[in-house]
Amino acid sequence: MKIAEVVSDDATLIRREAWSSPEIYELEMKGIFRKSWLFLGHESQIPELGDFVQAYMGETPIILSRGPEGRVYANINSCSHRGLPVCRADRGNTTKFVCPYHNWNYDVTGKLVAIPQERHVESRPDKRQLGLKAVPRIDSWNGMIFGSFDPEIVSLDEYLGDQRFYLDAFFGRFPQGVEFYGAPQRWKINANWKLPMENQLGDVNHGPFLHAAVIPPEANREVFELGLSVVTEPGHGATFRLMPEDAPVENVAWGFEGMASLLGGPEIHEYLREIQAKAVERVGPLRARMKGLTYGVFPNLSFLWSNTAFKVSHPRGPGKVEYWSWSVVPADAPDEFKKILRGNHTAFFGPGGILEQEDSEAWVQQFAGASIDFMEDRPFYYGLGLDEEKPHSDMPGLVSVTANEFYARHFFKRWRSALEAVES
Amino acid sequence: MSESKGEATQVDAYDPKAVSPEFQLAVEQFYYREARILDGRRYQTWLGLCDPSIRYIMPSRTNPLVDNDERGNESMLSVERELDGLESEGTPIRNETYAYLMLRVERSFKPNSWAENPPARTRRIVGNVEILDVRDDRLSVTSAFHLHYSRPGSANFMFAGQRQDVLLRSDDGFRILDRMIVMDMADIDLPTLGLFF
Repeated sequence: MKIAEVVSDDATLIRREAWSSPEIYELEMKGIFRKSWLFLGHESQIPELGDFVQAYMGETPIILSRGPEGRVYANINSCSHRGLPVCRADRGNTTKFVCPYHNWNYDVTGKLVAIPQERHVESRPDKRQLGLKAVPRIDSWNGMIFGSFDPEIVSLDEYLGDQRFYLDAFFGRFPQGVEFYGAPQRWKINANWKLPMENQLGDVNHGPFLHAAVIPPEANREVFELGLSVVTEPGHGATFRLMPEDAPVENVAWGFEGMASLLGGPEIHEYLREIQAKAVERVGPLRARMKGLTYGVFPNLSFLWSNTAFKVSHPRGPGKVEYWSWSVVPADAPDEFKKILRGNHTAFFGPGGILEQEDSEAWVQQFAGASIDFMEDRPFYYGLGLDEEKPHSDMPGLVSVTANEFYARHFFKRWRSALEAVES
Repeated sequence: MSESKGEATQVDAYDPKAVSPEFQLAVEQFYYREARILDGRRYQTWLGLCDPSIRYIMPSRTNPLVDNDERGNESMLSVERELDGLESEGTPIRNETYAYLMLRVERSFKPNSWAENPPARTRRIVGNVEILDVRDDRLSVTSAFHLHYSRPGSANFMFAGQRQDVLLRSDDGFRILDRMIVMDMADIDLPTLGLFF
């Protein structure tokens, strides 16, 4: 099986093995997770010297930490001696990471500082060569820290490209940026990592159907009538509603959609109105009218604007994903507002979410469907809206209605080239 | 462990003067009935057991760094340190009021609540019912549960956890005023935590 046969040239037909085949999964690890910028965490999670959080790049466990002079370090969580993890806590503040087996210990930058046994032997190992393995490239944009295993990769700025225009429609709204509010929710789903990603990359049109038991029809009408889907380059995507210029502030402003802030009382409504009142000044008239839905950054980072969560879809084999989801709040908001606002995410999404329980069921069943035998001649159909996307006079990228599946076709074209580059 | 303070906490003995056997029995019977109602999928009936001002919370559990100052003390391993709930930062799994529970009950009886269609089968055993405190018409009660969960076409799952309730006593029985559910799995590898626990 050649990758060129898995995805048709126009990416309207994609064979089911793309999700279920172990061989293709191996190629994804080499061709995508070794070659991309992968999201590690946000600056707000590690503000002080010695702060750390755990992260993953694909299946590789990472310690993200704050070293001297405010520098950020990303090291692989595995001792150079026998490979045990040197960090077992999800997060915290420390001066050193100690391997439990023989107590080799490392400072927060990943440097090996002590081998307790070496004083009993004559030869001294060169500790400079035996630090934790550092992630070769780290870079950040707007507080978002990414790492890459590819030393030759383009800069993060170039990688994100015009997707920054849409991400900034969110980040730029808040005078002191955003904060990732504590630890993420993390849970496992018996699904392939690409489906949660596709779901947030542009697939807002499952909402009225899969979620009809919960989402009211008015909310869906707004998506149909005002919704736009954008692909700045293959693999990245953004969906939002471009609200009319005369729309009431509560219909446009970030935060009003969530049930927690709706029920949160007049003070929080006033706070949300104030953010929107400055939006034109901060992000310009066009982006001030953007009422975001979902975003995706290749290969596995998602942003759910309406319920304000950043999510990473960590692969764990073809049929398993470990999903991480952070509540994101404005950094300048008073603590009691942050606690209210996080509820917009946690009540509806996550492992106990009213909405997300339907999503994870769909993703599990898609993997079952992708694993059925004797279906080589029945690839999945990705052809809705073929070639209907067009450039837009006021915003970057190709733009279309949200029912157009071009976001997924573009993703799989990039996926196909990335896998072809490493297939033998 | 010279620096160990070795602090242990007092365990209160059961005091039949504070909580009579009859009262203990009445509270236990309330929980057994609640379990039967939930396993019978009578969620609308169950909502009637909740006070309209209910807080229904399920904290997340994290793996925090051991606090070196707590070495040698029971507090080093306290469950509370692991919880991201209402007062801490982080992402509680559930943080709901009566309105959210109503929404969940409503959803349950729509045929397009696909995660539960066909419906899952549950059976829960509630035990270790302890009345910790009684003040006027309010009781603090903890209980433990094992919940067997079976979704069609999927494996069977076992949930285990603790409930920390505040019950309100009224003329016609008890109402749930507060419920905090502490789940006991380290990694969440289950179809959903969106059930009524």
